[in-house]
Amino acid sequence: MTPILELDDVRKHYTTRSGLARRTSSVRAVDGVSLRLERGETLGLVGESGCGKSTLARTLVLLEKPDSGEIRFDGRPVAVTDAASLRRDAQIVFQDPYTSLPPHMKVRRIIAEPLMIHRIASGAELRARVDELIADVGLPGTVADKLPGQLSGGQRQRVSIARALALEPSLLIADESVSALDVSVQAQILNLLNGLRERHGLTLLFVSHDIGVVTYVSQRIAVMYLGKIVEMGPTADVYGNALHPYTRALMAAVPSMEHRGRERIEVRGDPPDPRHPPPGCAYHPRCPIAQDICRVESPPVREWLPGRHAACHFALDGVSDGRNTG
Amino acid sequence: MLLYTIRRTAQMLVVVLCVVTLVFLLLRIAAGDPARLMNAPDAPDDVIEATRERLGLDEPIYIQYLYFLRDLLGGDLGQSFQGSYSVAQVVFAALPNTAMLAAVTVLVSTVIALALGIGAALTRGSWLDRSVQVYVAFAQSIPSFWLAVVLVLVFAVQLGWLPAVDFTGPSSFVLPVATMAVALTPILIRTIRQSFIETLQQDYIRAARARGIAQRKILLVHTLKVASLPLVTLIGLQSGMILAGSYVVENIFNWPGIGKLAVDALTSRNFPMVQGAVLIAAVTFVLVNFVVDMLYTTLDPRIRLKGAS
Amino acid sequence: MLRRKTAAIGLGGIGLLIFVAVAAPWIAPYEPAAQDLSNVLAPPAWDGGDWSYPLGTDALGRDVLSRMIYGARSSVLISACAMLIGATLGLLTGLVAGFFGRFVDTLIMRLGDIQLALPFILIAIVILGMMTERSPVHLIVVLGIPAWIVYARVVRARTLAEREQDYVRAAETIGARPLRRIFRYVLPQVRSVLPAIALIDLSHLVVMESTLSFLGFGLTSPHVSWGQILADGRQNMVVAPWLPVLPGIAIMLTVLCINLAVEGMRSRVEPRRRWWSTRWRRSGATRTTLDMATAASRPAVDELQAGPTPDDVLLDVRGLCVDFPTADGRVVQAVRGVSFTVGRGKILGIVGESGSGKSVTSYALLRLLSAPGRVSAGTAMFDGIDLLGVPERSMRRVRGRRIGMIFQNPVGSLNPVLTVGYQIVEAIRTNRDVDRDAAVELAEKVFRDVGFGDPPHIMKQYPFRLSGGQNQRVMIAMTMAIEPELLLADEPTTALDVTTQAQVLDQLRRVRDEHGTSIVIISHDIGLIGEIADEVVVMYAGEVCESGPTEQVLREPRHPYTQALLESVPRPEAGVTTELRSIPGELPDPTRESGGCPFALRCSSVMDLCHTHRPKPLTVGPAWSAACHLYSEDKAEVTQR
Repeated sequence: MTPILELDDVRKHYTTRSGLARRTSSVRAVDGVSLRLERGETLGLVGESGCGKSTLARTLVLLEKPDSGEIRFDGRPVAVTDAASLRRDAQIVFQDPYTSLPPHMKVRRIIAEPLMIHRIASGAELRARVDELIADVGLPGTVADKLPGQLSGGQRQRVSIARALALEPSLLIADESVSALDVSVQAQILNLLNGLRERHGLTLLFVSHDIGVVTYVSQRIAVMYLGKIVEMGPTADVYGNALHPYTRALMAAVPSMEHRGRERIEVRGDPPDPRHPPPGCAYHPRCPIAQDICRVESPPVREWLPGRHAACHFALDGVSDGRNTG
Repeated sequence: MLLYTIRRTAQMLVVVLCVVTLVFLLLRIAAGDPARLMNAPDAPDDVIEATRERLGLDEPIYIQYLYFLRDLLGGDLGQSFQGSYSVAQVVFAALPNTAMLAAVTVLVSTVIALALGIGAALTRGSWLDRSVQVYVAFAQSIPSFWLAVVLVLVFAVQLGWLPAVDFTGPSSFVLPVATMAVALTPILIRTIRQSFIETLQQDYIRAARARGIAQRKILLVHTLKVASLPLVTLIGLQSGMILAGSYVVENIFNWPGIGKLAVDALTSRNFPMVQGAVLIAAVTFVLVNFVVDMLYTTLDPRIRLKGAS
Repeated sequence: MLRRKTAAIGLGGIGLLIFVAVAAPWIAPYEPAAQDLSNVLAPPAWDGGDWSYPLGTDALGRDVLSRMIYGARSSVLISACAMLIGATLGLLTGLVAGFFGRFVDTLIMRLGDIQLALPFILIAIVILGMMTERSPVHLIVVLGIPAWIVYARVVRARTLAEREQDYVRAAETIGARPLRRIFRYVLPQVRSVLPAIALIDLSHLVVMESTLSFLGFGLTSPHVSWGQILADGRQNMVVAPWLPVLPGIAIMLTVLCINLAVEGMRSRVEPRRRWWSTRWRRSGATRTTLDMATAASRPAVDELQAGPTPDDVLLDVRGLCVDFPTADGRVVQAVRGVSFTVGRGKILGIVGESGSGKSVTSYALLRLLSAPGRVSAGTAMFDGIDLLGVPERSMRRVRGRRIGMIFQNPVGSLNPVLTVGYQIVEAIRTNRDVDRDAAVELAEKVFRDVGFGDPPHIMKQYPFRLSGGQNQRVMIAMTMAIEPELLLADEPTTALDVTTQAQVLDQLRRVRDEHGTSIVIISHDIGLIGEIADEVVVMYAGEVCESGPTEQVLREPRHPYTQALLESVPRPEAGVTTELRSIPGELPDPTRESGGCPFALRCSSVMDLCHTHRPKPLTVGPAWSAACHLYSEDKAEVTQR
């Protein structure tokens, strides 16, 4: 079966004009990402702020135009100019439930918009379809005539999801879709997304900074650092036995009762300035196992174990010396 | 910073060139044939033709434009229609008078506005705040020309305390400056009050209080330094309004500045003079805003240092 | 309320003016140009004139009242039409410039810059001065067209901001084309700013039109305008002072009415916030709400007071209540009777979701609540000082010196225009009796302690040049330098990345271990609290539902909310297959007072009792209490559903 989505060395660089002198510097927001999504799976994309995960998500729905590389949807290359056909198949749900809905439109109208734009339904059929969508995301029918400002964060995020589902996409991208919500509501939305995936056979790309959330919803996860994917593999394997030291650091850094008084994997310093990435492996200044080679040579992504990719010169060393937290 | 200054200067020069061009075209279109204007309305055609040749007006418009630019670079704004003196001389003689009036107005207004604006911001909802608000509401409703007339009526005609017209000494400043300050202060006060209130609500003010910093220091260092920044830009932007105000005020108080010069020249259809006055006013405005912009960037480290590595 | 009234007066005045303008031919007693040469410069009725000319006559014997009425007609007509032209042009250009950006934007905005550089009034005079006859149409065009830039700038700025909003991006992803995005999505948002600008523009136009007339470049006869009447009157100012005064008053009232309407409109868009004033006033000068609140709350506290504070307790908070009165007269009870203690050298974690009142609690303790928030009851004894009762002057000696605080937004808690070095030295010198050099030395030492390699370099930086993690380390360094006995940390790592967060937590732990500082750490992240805190307070809807030693509370939670909260956090350890528990429903409305347990509507173990009776904190173990009816009788064994 062809994967629903394939990315081949996709790059998106921004030229930022910064400062008074308009010095131009290039930020490699997405720096050669290749990955594939199988139909019906959930891939979690995790990374810290500025790692390029949101840019990548936006590139997939052509809100950003990739500079180079190829995106194939259902085996067909996606032409940048043909956004319309892609958009019926791939939809995105944004992070902030307070800015992602037009404040002046009633919920019914918001959900109806995609159906009207694509002339899919009208009149009584449209009404029925919108009611169906509202019920599908677990909202009471009474919200249809409310404005987004009258809804809570969780309800708004459900409306966002309903709008995205209106076109019956096969791929749904959730860009930090639960990050702005309280944990109790976050759990509701996560369960909703899981349920929808099963009911509608959706493929889900779940983008988040929260590794806990990602491991909960995803079958596979991909870890990004400074525009590159540094590790990718089945969630249980990555969680239990990460190949990349950054993945290990990320997991160890999640605060938890289990960590009380326990030795952490030390992560030194702050993430580097994306305008001036370090030479060699971008992670080497913070890496506890960095060697000389890491300072000069950028490690390519390799499949070290079946189905498990990592970009580290010492991917298997980390596994053997028992530094893992799992 | 140096690079920015150069870039900004180049930008300003482009704007100046556009302004100059626009003034040239506008006056040509609005005023029509200068040769006809220079002579009496019933002058015979050959006289007009001769004038036209003398002034180079028989050339195509773009050649005239180039001549105009060339003369301008040499500081030559042409000859007055009435009398045979140079427009540049007259205009540059009038400029300091307007500049002085504007400078005193800005100074007085800023001091008043800072005092009232900060006072109102700190005592929100008090009688002081309310009185300041009432002043702002009324002051911005009073048309300058009317206020000038009323001030003259009361202080010069009825009471005879202050001179109404002509420049005779420091007391001559009182009425014109008062008129212009009433027009300028409302917007300054509002801005300062608003920006003070907003700054006081910032997290870093709360954090400074949490560190135990004294109130006086929070106000005079932490708040004032941030809150007074918008004032700089505002004064630059308002310089156009001050200029416009000076036309009215100078005409009523018979103040020998650019504004009076322009209106007089217009009434007597003295075109080179009008052109000179408009040009000098426009260029001054651009320059003032340039200076203000540069000042702002030096004052605010957020802009000065942004992005530099 | 006052604002509504002024707005009504303003709109009423505008309405009256429009009525006069429209009905001029019917209500004016004379034709505006009709002369009565036997009655030249007749005084108005109140100044000895007769009622046939209520406002007197001018030098040509024309009725001033009629001329004023017709003047209103010109003013309204010209200003309104000019405004419409300017608004239409400006709205369209602003939308186009803001939405499409790039060179279209540059072109339009540069054009605007150049136009703004031209002295508008002089250009208008030049153009109008060339005409021998000037009708309203001429003035409308000359005044109206240049006004576009005012609208264009505002509309462009709003459009630029809206364009970046996710809802416009979302519209793009559902396939909406640019025109639909502009007119269906952006325009309705941008539109709301127009009425206010239009009215301000209108008042400018009224003044501008009369200024031109006054200078002799306005409407020509037979048209009448206020400026003209004023200019005519000026000639006879000495003998007939009312002549220039009357039209001036008309203009002033018109502009005033417009401004009042604008004010009214603003206050509706942006409700008036009273933030600072009540807090800022020195206590003593006026009775602050705080003083009144503490006085009123004494009896309530007595009930809670079980006894004196033990010696090993540094902070003892009892029955703290914080209210936020809303604009419409209701009261949001953000904190409802919160009690907890902080032991010396201990770390207390307060955990709760948004709206639980945990941050408000910390602000209340340092009396840094933003107005209109106020403490309505409770005591907070800090080492023998009642934080909520002492005068502001004493409080200032507590803040910083004895109780430090760090905030959620690390970049925002340092002043952006002062260097980090200035701010830390200032803080040290405010709170410790050292000279400048010693303060600098100390600052460099603590900077090194929190992991900065080059302290002198960091000292010279402005906060925005540092990352969030670095700023938070600066804040922690300040605490280390001042060495307060208690540190309140309000969501100190929420804005940070997880790897940076781990470092900041380590720093906080060192503050306690090496300086003996007690810490109250407030967070929404129960995992974080679990890792760092010795004791935990779980808050929900402004109340404490469970508190006790962290290990016990988080391992065997007793309160159903604590249980649900723990189970709804997805954790890597839990593995992929476990079912995530979610709490149904949302937070209760904080303005509504309920008699029962605030968690009752979302609780899975709810009983009838829970809806009617508020549970009291019940001891469920050593130093461990839960406010739940499940434990009210002999139900201590019921821990799980």
